[in-house]
Amino acid sequence: MVMWRAAKNILIAVAALLQLLGNDAFAGESLFYKEINLIGGYSKQNGWIGKTETLSNSVGFEHYAKFSSDYGDYLTTDLQVRFAYDSSQRFDEACSVELHNAWAEYRINGAAKLKAGHFEPAFGLEQVIDAHSTILQTLAMKNIGYTKDWGLELRGSLAAFDYWVAMQLGSGMSIRRIDSSYLFSARVGTPAGRDFQYGVSALCGNVLDTEGMSTFPKNHLLSNEAIQKERIGFDCLYSWNSFVLKGETAFGVNNNDSVIGYLAEVDYSPPKSQNWEFEAQFQSFVNDLGKSRTDDSTLSIGLTYRLSQAVTLRAAFQHDLNRYKQKKDTQFVVQFYYYGR
Amino acid sequence: MVRIVSTLIAIVFFIGFTCSTSFAAIGCELNDPDRDVQKIFPQSTGYKTDYFTIQENGGEKLKKEVEEKLGDTFDPIYESLDVPYSYYTILKGKETIGYVHGVNQKGVYGTLQIILATDPDGKIVGFYYQKISSPEAPKFRDKAFTARFDGLTLEDFYKSDDPNGKVAAIKDPSVKSREDFKSTIRGTKKNLILLNAFLLDKTHEGRHKEKVK
Repeated sequence: MVMWRAAKNILIAVAALLQLLGNDAFAGESLFYKEINLIGGYSKQNGWIGKTETLSNSVGFEHYAKFSSDYGDYLTTDLQVRFAYDSSQRFDEACSVELHNAWAEYRINGAAKLKAGHFEPAFGLEQVIDAHSTILQTLAMKNIGYTKDWGLELRGSLAAFDYWVAMQLGSGMSIRRIDSSYLFSARVGTPAGRDFQYGVSALCGNVLDTEGMSTFPKNHLLSNEAIQKERIGFDCLYSWNSFVLKGETAFGVNNNDSVIGYLAEVDYSPPKSQNWEFEAQFQSFVNDLGKSRTDDSTLSIGLTYRLSQAVTLRAAFQHDLNRYKQKKDTQFVVQFYYYGR
Repeated sequence: MVRIVSTLIAIVFFIGFTCSTSFAAIGCELNDPDRDVQKIFPQSTGYKTDYFTIQENGGEKLKKEVEEKLGDTFDPIYESLDVPYSYYTILKGKETIGYVHGVNQKGVYGTLQIILATDPDGKIVGFYYQKISSPEAPKFRDKAFTARFDGLTLEDFYKSDDPNGKVAAIKDPSVKSREDFKSTIRGTKKNLILLNAFLLDKTHEGRHKEKVK
C-alpha cells in the first residue's frame, strides 16, 4: 500500500515535471523518447530469469531538453525513468521506479559546466560509453557498486583534455545517506569522439553496499556500514575500422583489503552487415589481493542486431570463471530493446 | 515460469500498442559543442541548439523533395523520417554568425559523421569527420582534403555532374576507399539540402517577410 502511494506520488511528480518541461514558455528544444526493455533468459543457478544485474523488464521514457536565451544555450536537462517489473518477486513487491539520468547542467562558460542530480561518478569507461541499455556492462558495478549516484559535478574542456570532478552521496540508485556516506571522484581524459580515447581517474569515499536498481521504493541496503573505498584507474577505447576495443582497470582498497579490477572487450561489426555486432568481454574483480581465489571473473559473449533505428535485439552468454563467496553461474539472456520517439 | 510468460505476453502486447506510431533514432550531435564551435568560430560567444526532423517539417512530402534534390533515395533504417538532426546556430552576442550541423552517412566500415560549418547564407566555412571508420581514415581527415569543401554551396553540389564544376574538382584522397569518398559527397550534399529545408529557407522567408513589411 505504501509502495503504491509512493508510486502514485512519483507519477504525479513526473507528469507535473513533464508538463513544465513541455511548456513552450519554459522549455527550449526538447526530445522525448519512449523506451521498452524486455529481457529474459536461463540461469544455471536460478532457472528462468527475467532480469540481469542492471536490467529488468521495463517501460520508460527519456526527456532531454536544452534551454537557451538570445545569447545561446545555458541549461541542459535529462530525465530518464523506467517503470520496472521483477517477475521473481511477489506482485506487490515486483513493481519499482528506476531513475537513471535525472540531472540539470548549467553552462557556466565554454570551459565549465555545473551538473546536479543523478549521473555517473567521474570514474572509468562509464564516462565514455553509454551502457545503460546493454547486457554487457562496464566495471562500475563491481568496482563502485553502481553506475550512477546523486550529487554535483563540475566538468569542462581544457585545451587538450576534458575533466570531470564529482561529489556524490555514495548511495547509488536511491537517495539515502547513512554512516557518513559520500563519494568523491575525478577523471581527466581525451576529448570524446577520437578514435583513441583514454583517461585516468581517482575516487575516494564511504560507499553504501546496495542491491537492485530501484529508486522508489529504495533499493535493498545490504549493510548499515559504508565501505571505505579508494581507487585509481585507467580506461581506454580504440575504434579501428570495424572493431572497437575497450579496456579499463582500477586499483585501490576496500576498507583494509587491497583490490584490483580489469575489463577487456572487443566489439566487431561486419562491414557488409553493419546491423550486426559481435562482442566478447572478460572482466575480473579481485576482492582481496592478500588471499587467493577472491575474484569475481566473468567471460561474456554478446550478439547485437539492430532491426531499425529504434529497435535492437541482443543476446548474451555469460559464464563465471570464479565467484567470491557465491556459487558460479552460467546464463543466457535475450533482450528486446525499443528506444524511439 | 507462468509469471514470466504472462509478463512477456503483457509487455509484447504493450509494445504492439505503443510502437505502432513511430520509430526513431538518435541524431548526429556534436561530441563537445563548446570545444568544436570554438575551434571553427573563435569569435563566437555562444550557440543555440535546435532539433529538426523531416517528420515534423513536412513528412513524406519533404522526404520526396529532399530525395529528388539528392538524386538518391533514403535508407529506410539509417535515414528514417523521425531522426532528429541537431543544428547549432553560432552567435556573437545576439548576432548569428554561422551554423554547425552534422549528418550520419552509411560508410563501408560503419557510419560516417559529417560535420559542416557554414556562414549564415549556407556557404561552407568548415568541414570535418566527427567519426569515420576506414583503413584510409587519415587521408580523409587530412586538411588537404577537407579544405577542398571550403567555399562550396548547395548550388555547387547541384552541378556535381559538371566535369568543370567545383565539386568534380574534389579528388578522392584514398586508394581503395572509393565508396567512402562517394558517401562523403552524398552526405555533404544531404547535409546542405537539410540545412536549407530546416533553417535557411525559413530564415530567408522570414527576412523576405520583414522586408515586405
